[in-house]
Amino acid sequence: MIAISGLKKRFALTREHKKKKSQTDPRERDGFFHSVEEVNLHCGEGEVLGLLGPNGAGKTTTLRMLSTALTPDDGTILVDGQDIVKKPVVARKAIGFLSGSTGLYGRLTAKENVEYFARLHGLKGKALKARCDALFQRLEMETFLDKRAEHLSTGMKQKTNIARAVVHNPKVVVLDEPTTGLDIMTTQTVISFIRDLKSAGTPVIFSTHHLDEVALLCDRVSVIDKGITCFDGSLAEFKTKGQSHELNQAFLNLLTGAAHV
Amino acid sequence: MFEVFLKELRELLRDRKTLFFVIALPMLVFPVIMALVGFMASQAAMEAKQEVHTYYIVNESFAEKFSEQVFYHKSFKKYNGELALDSVEALSDAVRNGVIDVGIFIPADPAKNLESGIKSEWKIVFNDAQSINFIYDRLSKLAMSFSDELRALKLAALGLSQEQQAAVLQPISITKVDTADKRENLGEKLGVFIPYMLIPLVLMGASYPAIDLGAGEKERGTLETLLLTPISRTELVLGKFLTVLSSSIFCALITVSSMALWIGIASRFVELDVIKTAFSSVAMMDFVLIFALLLPVAVMLSSLTLAISIYARTFKEAQNYMGPLSMGIFIPIVMSLMPNMELTAKTALIPITNVALAIKEIIKGTVDYSYVALIFGASTVLAAGLLVCCVKWFNKETVLFR
Repeated sequence: MIAISGLKKRFALTREHKKKKSQTDPRERDGFFHSVEEVNLHCGEGEVLGLLGPNGAGKTTTLRMLSTALTPDDGTILVDGQDIVKKPVVARKAIGFLSGSTGLYGRLTAKENVEYFARLHGLKGKALKARCDALFQRLEMETFLDKRAEHLSTGMKQKTNIARAVVHNPKVVVLDEPTTGLDIMTTQTVISFIRDLKSAGTPVIFSTHHLDEVALLCDRVSVIDKGITCFDGSLAEFKTKGQSHELNQAFLNLLTGAAHV
Repeated sequence: MFEVFLKELRELLRDRKTLFFVIALPMLVFPVIMALVGFMASQAAMEAKQEVHTYYIVNESFAEKFSEQVFYHKSFKKYNGELALDSVEALSDAVRNGVIDVGIFIPADPAKNLESGIKSEWKIVFNDAQSINFIYDRLSKLAMSFSDELRALKLAALGLSQEQQAAVLQPISITKVDTADKRENLGEKLGVFIPYMLIPLVLMGASYPAIDLGAGEKERGTLETLLLTPISRTELVLGKFLTVLSSSIFCALITVSSMALWIGIASRFVELDVIKTAFSSVAMMDFVLIFALLLPVAVMLSSLTLAISIYARTFKEAQNYMGPLSMGIFIPIVMSLMPNMELTAKTALIPITNVALAIKEIIKGTVDYSYVALIFGASTVLAAGLLVCCVKWFNKETVLFR
């Protein structure tokens, strides 16, 4: 279970940025860029939550805070009832993170890449081997395990990345635009991976721009616009509040509605 | 931490680019280049030595003995053309036009001049704009020996015996009695060269992997995943730091040993007695001490390069920072070469300069061990400080997610 409430994060503006003084973005004020101003969301056991929002809305910053790479200025993030802002190490053990831009160590083989992260997560000996072997089999990675990551195709790389992200059996999985730039085959790998997690009861939060994926996978939807959550609810509520059965239209209606408020 | 170190090491050993810079360059490429340069220089010198020059003497009859010696010298050939030259200008033109290589202008009979108490002034006309040139040396040697003969004859005519002549010509002669032994003397010269080579090598060995381990990790998009593992950032930094440190020490070690090997091989073909005698008196303990002193330098440079690399956004940005650093490293080394720079309690506190000075003293065999301890202490404190900065930067969001 993941519960985020009142999340805030701002970044100091660079000197060049301040000099320009172009107040086009209302989030730029008092020497800071307020990337995330008020984010609240909830994702229960076995639920998949789609995090939507235009580019620059604050999705990646939110997910980075959730994955403990960034520390929030304010707000709470609860994973299984534990406040991970206060206990980041607990969170790192409980969260599996994958983004579209995550890379692999090119000079290590696919197997070495996954095993390295398994060891960093404290797995050793037989337990490590058993866990890795099970993952390799499930993701059908056996054919390219001993190839260096730099020589793998995009699909193989993404499979390796998935294995790396879940090698420590995380309680929740966070995916930041995991299908951006991928071909149909590889996208399908990611989709079936999310389905697997869902059937295993693992909560998944993923940000995306592809609403067909949302329709396919998500139980819940959360929309962030200009750093503020403007919707958080079930898929059905999303359609109702967005006044359309087409997800794209519902999304646009929600955003324009938020702008009018 | 050890896990990170092992993985980084494994990845480093698989990187051909780094391996080339850390191993192949100092072990094979540099010696081959140096050998080639040496070979070409000696070839050029040999060619210059063997070259035969066409000469022309104006007023040959004034110095017959001299002319004869030049005539029979293996490096000179008399001009046998039809041109008759009679002045310095005419000789210059002939040299410029390539008719002759060298002209000697004898204005008057030197023996007669000497009789009347007048000094003769000869002129050697040639093109001196060549780096290896034996013309002037050879001719002036012949002319001087002719001049000496004339002088000896004159002095004998004045009634001076050979011993008296020697005393008159040089009433006082000075002989140097050096209290510095051979090692100290050679150490002063060779000792400055060694830190000049070793310290930049330590930097080179550190900077290549450092760029890869910091900025490279950001560029490849692996840093974020690494930060989300439960091991602390301090451990991450230390693991990376250990890799950079190993590489920098390894680079210095391998270069020195390959140099020893190549010098060993070269000394079979060429006489390198100077280097041999200088190093034969340097004990094994001194070598150990030199490496012990390089250690804090390696720690310092490793943490510095790693900090720079972590700060940089991309590989290219990191490389841009390393450029000035590799130039800047020479400043403290050159400082140690300045005259009157000695290892004192003050200079022992200037980073890198202190180590360069100490290495020189060790090779000279005149090192004060209390200063070595001071250097060790000071360098370790600085290195530890830099390492703390490194860890702090690795914890800073503004640095990690620039």
